[in-house]
Amino acid sequence: MMLARVADSLYWIGRYVERAEHLCRLSDVMLTATLDRTESSSEIARIALAAVGDPEAAAKARNPYEAVHALVLDRQDSGSVASSLAAARENARQVRDQITSETWERLNLIHLRMNDPNAARTFADGSQAFLHETIADLHLFKGAADATMSHGEGWRFLLLGVYMERAQLIGALLEVCFGDKRGRALSDHTALTALLRMGCALEPYLRVYTADMQADYILEYLLLDEDFPRSMRFCTARIEEHLASISHPSDATGLSGPDRLAGRLRARLQYADIGEVQAEGASAFLGGVLDECAGVHKAIFEAFVAYPLEQRLPA
Amino acid sequence: MESGVAKAEAGVPMADTFATTRPHDEMRTMAGDVRPQYAALAARIATLTSDELSERQRTLERFFLLQGITFTVYGAESSTERIIPTDLLPRIISAEEWSTIERGLTQRLKALNMFLADIYSGQQILMDGIIPRDLVLGAPSYQREMQNLYVPHQAYANVCGSDLIRQPGGDFAVLEDNLRVPSGVSYMLANREASKRVFPGTFRGAGVRPIDRYPDLLLTTLKSMAAEWRPNPQVVVLTPGVYNSAYFEHAYLARLMGAPLVEGRDLVVHDNMVYMRTTAGLRRIDVIYRRVDDDFIDPLTFRRDSGLGAAGLFNAYRAGNVVICNAPGTGVADDKAVYAYVPEIIRYYLGEDAILPNIETFLCREPAQLSHVLANLDKLVVKAVGASGGYGMLVGPHSTKAQQDEFAAALRADPDNYIAQPTIQLSTAPCLIGDAIEPRHVDLRPFVLSGEKIVVNPGALTRVAMRKGSLVVNSSQGGGSKDTWVLTDGKDLHP
Repeated sequence: MMLARVADSLYWIGRYVERAEHLCRLSDVMLTATLDRTESSSEIARIALAAVGDPEAAAKARNPYEAVHALVLDRQDSGSVASSLAAARENARQVRDQITSETWERLNLIHLRMNDPNAARTFADGSQAFLHETIADLHLFKGAADATMSHGEGWRFLLLGVYMERAQLIGALLEVCFGDKRGRALSDHTALTALLRMGCALEPYLRVYTADMQADYILEYLLLDEDFPRSMRFCTARIEEHLASISHPSDATGLSGPDRLAGRLRARLQYADIGEVQAEGASAFLGGVLDECAGVHKAIFEAFVAYPLEQRLPA
Repeated sequence: MESGVAKAEAGVPMADTFATTRPHDEMRTMAGDVRPQYAALAARIATLTSDELSERQRTLERFFLLQGITFTVYGAESSTERIIPTDLLPRIISAEEWSTIERGLTQRLKALNMFLADIYSGQQILMDGIIPRDLVLGAPSYQREMQNLYVPHQAYANVCGSDLIRQPGGDFAVLEDNLRVPSGVSYMLANREASKRVFPGTFRGAGVRPIDRYPDLLLTTLKSMAAEWRPNPQVVVLTPGVYNSAYFEHAYLARLMGAPLVEGRDLVVHDNMVYMRTTAGLRRIDVIYRRVDDDFIDPLTFRRDSGLGAAGLFNAYRAGNVVICNAPGTGVADDKAVYAYVPEIIRYYLGEDAILPNIETFLCREPAQLSHVLANLDKLVVKAVGASGGYGMLVGPHSTKAQQDEFAAALRADPDNYIAQPTIQLSTAPCLIGDAIEPRHVDLRPFVLSGEKIVVNPGALTRVAMRKGSLVVNSSQGGGSKDTWVLTDGKDLHP
């Protein structure tokens, strides 16, 4: 049992933190890739920018440093790293009594660095170091939450946010690379490696598939792997788990309840076969999965936060 | 002093002679010797260079920044976080002095709670003519809605923060009582945490009384207010929200008490019961420690435009289904005009003399006292009765002729609204200013809890006027704070 507003804030902290981490990683891959002036480097920049939903991805990809600078530090853009972190901290401030001091300090520290008057200069001096450090600090935040917070309802809402956001971000990235909107299939070795890096999946992928870069394998790995923490299947399994552990109001288990939707989504990914997915068309499959993610997100809000009062009043 | 109400016609000597003499200093006697309670600290400071002190000051500031004990300054491009000015040198109070403060505040709050219980029921004190009827019933903080409402243990002011200052002779006197929603206790606790990091060695040797039980004592006090047939009562802290300047404190107390921190939008009142919206449905609330002013707690009963409270909350309170702490309407007992009568109030209810005296106070509603005040505007401090936080105030010796004229006009137009007190040179305590140690004026705000019983926490917030010579310690006017050590008398120290 916890305040509905607090649960909502914790969920959003999880989402914003995950989003910030993902954006930092895409930016980092983009900057590293565009150091070489090759055909695939601008391709990689286009993929990264399109994956974060930038409608002018193609134009901006010509000037990757500017694009990354804006993606990371632009406070006017509500989707930037700085804005995401500010939103995460603002939410954390509102539930300051629910998170441990250790967890709060980590997030506050990252926020203070992003907002330091010298942040832009630090970024210019060493963008990759800056991004790398931010990602490492976000890992520390998650580690502090894991190690110091009680693994009760509050922590579960935080993780629900993390996994929901992660599933949707990876889904969006896969859609850009394997969807119908792409003309030809992604086959270039450099671009495929960069894609794995964007999913923080390169090293774990190599353990499973060796250095044989195949678009099909990558799709299978990021979509259907059971153990890799950034595969969509893994994320949906965690979402189902956390939802199952949160105490439920009696009317939230019905047909439109988040439990049922999350279970169906997890099953869909658990029992999918990569051959079938490709026969059906990756685009259609991904679109369906992302729609279901959005459905679970909405159902969580309706079941735990914005429920109609008349159903819950004492008889 | 016999009574807090000065008899101007009797020719009370004015306090202006004090303004020119040196004020009482917390660390040194007039002769320049270090007072015994400061000996260890003074010896420690003497071994530190100014660089080392500055380094410690930075450690302290970093602690506050990391903890998020900050307020936000919103700018055009970005917002910056500022910490509340905090000084690293503790203010130290001996066991003997503390014992007087403790007894004095207990007596005072006991009498004030009895006064509130009387005012909101039979009004015997008004019938007996101890205090003018119109002064109490006409005060803006008097809440008619509280009349004949049952308050457990007659504990109206569950949390009280009285401001004490030293009189010219060095004894403590009460400058002001805060019975509404006193704040600052989180700074007392945070200052202590920081000071343990800054002066660990000195701290260990000094024999400082611990204050960290405060959240626990507060929770016990709040629970004692719940109806006895409700086992394990649900206590919550009600905050106006994240943009309130004291938000840090609300969250801090909620976290340390383990009570949910709720906002008005989390509350639902149904059938005169108060509920909060949780993930698992509605949950009944028994006690609300509200950090929202009277006027804003219920738009149906008080201000209609308030979105900070919950509609119907007051009726639930009247019905006895929830307890609001502090009770609404306690402000009538810390009204600046009623203040003048507190020594009489103590004598009336308890038959005792006040242990902690009042500061001599002139009530401008009395014509004789008004003319005295008008004649001495350059020496007195004039305060508007309803205002707080250092606003609506004239400090005579530090004012211009134009400001005095302005106040004179205001006084003549609405004398009931003003009181005046002699300008007291607050005592000074050593503070680190830049890289030198200089005296700055301080006051003392101890926190007293009253529920089933009255408890004085052995510590206090020392507020500091950071500007040289300034007597205004309010944080809204550039004031800061420092840790306050109350020493043990050695009896409860284990060898």
